[in-house]
Amino acid sequence: VTTALAAGDELHAGPAPPPRGWRRLLAPGWVRVPWMTALFFGIGLGITLLVRWIEGWHPIWDGQVITTVELAATPLGFLAGIGGFDYWVRYAIGSPTRPEDHSGHGAYSWRDYFRINTDHKVIGIQYLVTTVFFFIAAGLMAMVMRAELARPGMQYVGNQVFNELFSVHAALMIFLFIIPAFAGLGNFVIPLMIGAPDMAFPRLNALSFWLLPVAGLMMLSSLVVPGFGGGWTCYAPLCSTHQELGAVFFNMGVQWAGASSIMTALNFLVTIITMRAPGMTFWRMPLLVWANFTTSLLVVIATPFIAGSQFMTMFDHVMHTNFFNADQHGYVLGYQHIFWFYSHPAVYIMMLPGFGIASEVISTFARKPIFGYRLMALSLMAILVLGFSVWAHHMFVSGMAPWLRVPMMVTSVVIAVPTGIKVFSWLATLWEGKLNFSTPMLFALGFVSMFVIGGLSGIYLAAVPIDIHVSDTYFVVAHIHYVLFGGSLFTIFAGIYYWFPKMTGRMYNESLGKLHFWLTFIGFNATFFPMHYLGIQGMPRRVSDYAPRFADLNFFISIASFFLGASTLVFLYNMIVSWARGEPAPSNPWRALTIEWQVASPPPVFNFDEVPQVVGGPYEYGVPGARHAVFNGDRAPEREPVSSG
Amino acid sequence: VGRGVLVRLVAVGLAAAAVAFAVAFFVPWLPTPASKQADRIDFVFWFVSVISIAIFALVASVILYAVVRFRARPDDDSDGAPIHGHTALEIVWTAVPAALVTAISVVSAVALAQNDHLPKKHMRVNVTAQQFAWTFSYPKYRGLTSSILRLPIHEPVELKMRSKDVIHSFWVPQFGQKQDLVPGITTRLVITPKRLGAYPVVCTELCGEGHAIMRTEAIVMRPTAFVAWVRGQERAAAQASQGTAGGGPGLSVFKSAGCVGCHTFKPAGSTATTGPDLDNLKADAQRAGKPLEPFVRQSIIDPNAYIEKGYQPNIMPSTFKSLPRQQLDALVQFLVKGQK
Repeated sequence: VTTALAAGDELHAGPAPPPRGWRRLLAPGWVRVPWMTALFFGIGLGITLLVRWIEGWHPIWDGQVITTVELAATPLGFLAGIGGFDYWVRYAIGSPTRPEDHSGHGAYSWRDYFRINTDHKVIGIQYLVTTVFFFIAAGLMAMVMRAELARPGMQYVGNQVFNELFSVHAALMIFLFIIPAFAGLGNFVIPLMIGAPDMAFPRLNALSFWLLPVAGLMMLSSLVVPGFGGGWTCYAPLCSTHQELGAVFFNMGVQWAGASSIMTALNFLVTIITMRAPGMTFWRMPLLVWANFTTSLLVVIATPFIAGSQFMTMFDHVMHTNFFNADQHGYVLGYQHIFWFYSHPAVYIMMLPGFGIASEVISTFARKPIFGYRLMALSLMAILVLGFSVWAHHMFVSGMAPWLRVPMMVTSVVIAVPTGIKVFSWLATLWEGKLNFSTPMLFALGFVSMFVIGGLSGIYLAAVPIDIHVSDTYFVVAHIHYVLFGGSLFTIFAGIYYWFPKMTGRMYNESLGKLHFWLTFIGFNATFFPMHYLGIQGMPRRVSDYAPRFADLNFFISIASFFLGASTLVFLYNMIVSWARGEPAPSNPWRALTIEWQVASPPPVFNFDEVPQVVGGPYEYGVPGARHAVFNGDRAPEREPVSSG
Repeated sequence: VGRGVLVRLVAVGLAAAAVAFAVAFFVPWLPTPASKQADRIDFVFWFVSVISIAIFALVASVILYAVVRFRARPDDDSDGAPIHGHTALEIVWTAVPAALVTAISVVSAVALAQNDHLPKKHMRVNVTAQQFAWTFSYPKYRGLTSSILRLPIHEPVELKMRSKDVIHSFWVPQFGQKQDLVPGITTRLVITPKRLGAYPVVCTELCGEGHAIMRTEAIVMRPTAFVAWVRGQERAAAQASQGTAGGGPGLSVFKSAGCVGCHTFKPAGSTATTGPDLDNLKADAQRAGKPLEPFVRQSIIDPNAYIEKGYQPNIMPSTFKSLPRQQLDALVQFLVKGQK
């Protein structure tokens, strides 16, 4: 499980040995974490109590206020303890910064995954393991919900617990699984793909990873703390003035996850813009790089809006600011406008990287150039721009200004055009190919077919009259799962299987991978397709109980969902066993052309012993003599790029 | 692309389309429409469905065809044909979807405009939502209030909707129409019932712990039956205000505070079943081991103090403790005197 040392890495032989004696308490790491966390907790508590005492606000000890302050202060203590700020603090206070000796790079034992590590490959794996943990947690919550929904009436959990389960399920899946899982895959792959030794800001990269467990634990504990039953959308005023403390855990969890997201996106942008290998023009970038570039633009522009919306609901909750309190002339719908101005682009944040992964996988396993490469890249940009003009299609029944509905419908359905271009181009890439159905390819093709269903049900939801009928019903539940499960999750699986050999240096078990795909594909459709029918017929979403006439179908869905849940065990078993004992992987098991496959598996600590020269497009399969990148040793003559699209 | 390929591809496409059409037409997807608006929604639904089925069939057939036809043999390490693009094809698959979505937009916009249109001659109903109950009042009949929405058939009705606490959403699946009720603003919805029957009213916006049980009924009646019901209600109200029940201020609090939305209580003419039946308060008080009047008062200001068997805690809002003292007293008296 270690990133092997390649020749030439002797100079960077791992981190310095830990100091001895009491100085260990000062060294960044898990010894410093407990006392620094406690210290920051104490500072937060002290300031709160002091201010309340000076101002004479009674009671001085107010649990709600203290908790809110601590949700900001304590994580800072944890991050400071683990060493997230060391370099910057030294720099800021003028003490000598340790010269960059790259001791934070690479993983030489499993322990190196549990410290601040500045190696993008280690961080990528940290991201993926963490996000899979939260994926399982959120999946188990879905299992409990389906158990409750198997029969009408109340069986296992109460109404409030049920509301909390679906709220936290969605919050974790979105903020702690899909978005960061793509960030993790990108973290590992992007620098390798563009021929860079690392991300542009390795310390920032490490910090953005360590924000994730903080956000995740906060959202998980909103299950235990009473009262986060407002849905992941956290609509005011239900989630502001009408919820208990748990909602604040969600509000703050979003802040930490959002900060992580923004930092990573900035890092991607700067890396992609400034650190491409010589010859890697924008029109020679693999589509995954394009996808991460557009996604990062979306994140940087949109995420501050959800941060704002969550601060405003939280302030309404604990400070009585009345942004969304109608009794004090607040404007309730304002929340939804701000929230969806992020959360619709967030749909593309959760989808565009998947488009990129699908392009890599389909091209490689069809042994063909991506059909219409330039149009594929441009349609990503088109989705980016259009994505900001459609947010109010989540609000057709909300009571907003009626005139907004038709324009927002038009922009929403227009997004079907660039999305259609992508789907048709993938299909055309398959045509006349030499298709090889390894697990990544199965998941990529599964993604294309499922995403088409999700996209078409999206057209139903964009058409205002139909949306008025089906919004807030199980039709929407079906739609989001076809898009986020059939779309995002299938591509995450495709990406994990595809780059597993590169990340771990070992091959996964192909038979188990295929078994996992088929179980998931069947279980997924059996679970989510019938939900369309339930929604159109009259079953609203987010209910623990329903009319008896929906009983049979719900029972079927529950059984199918347990089957789907069980399929994840195959994935976990395959990943864990293959990581520990799989066959050693060659450097390029898929005979792919992009640069990450031209270095060893796993790659050397600094990725490249020599800088690659990019001399052509990334997908020149079947073009005689075409190369994407060459290393100095075997330099090929510079040639004109083959015209693409 | 050769001719034979095209023929086979079309064959697969037709097969996929046939399967999709079978699923679309043999499954009764839509509830039987009970309003004029639902008819238009259904039309848009089928318009979009036909286009969707065509696109799905196209994609499915190409994938299936490619998976079978272009599968590489295990020993085949060669690459596919180096096709980088095809400008005409790319223009087609940009232009055709653009035309299709334009058509969908136009059809939807027209249907929406028609569904929003309110004829001059219409009835108005005020809808009030609160956690977790609906109250419908008819301004035309001097504030007649009901927990069940009763509508005469074929008469367009405009619902003027307000919420007392959080966001709720009014939906009758058979009417097709849906609208959120938002604190601080008044929203509206137009419905023209066209089919007799009783239909569920469902709250579709998550509104708290009791969201799943925030249900009532919409009943579409013959105009004569509707008028008879109105007269009956007015008579009952008149009797209640003069009779032994005391009526008067207590009755109006019972209606304005929304009690009618959840409870059955004969003197008020309410028949809702979300909460316990208030005609049995004597027996309930006995089970709770308290005298009647303190029991009633406590149950209003602290609903979780005693939970009747078969009901759940935290469903009744705790906001009634802020009722003005006078109103609270009147309400308690009304409830106590109404017991047989």
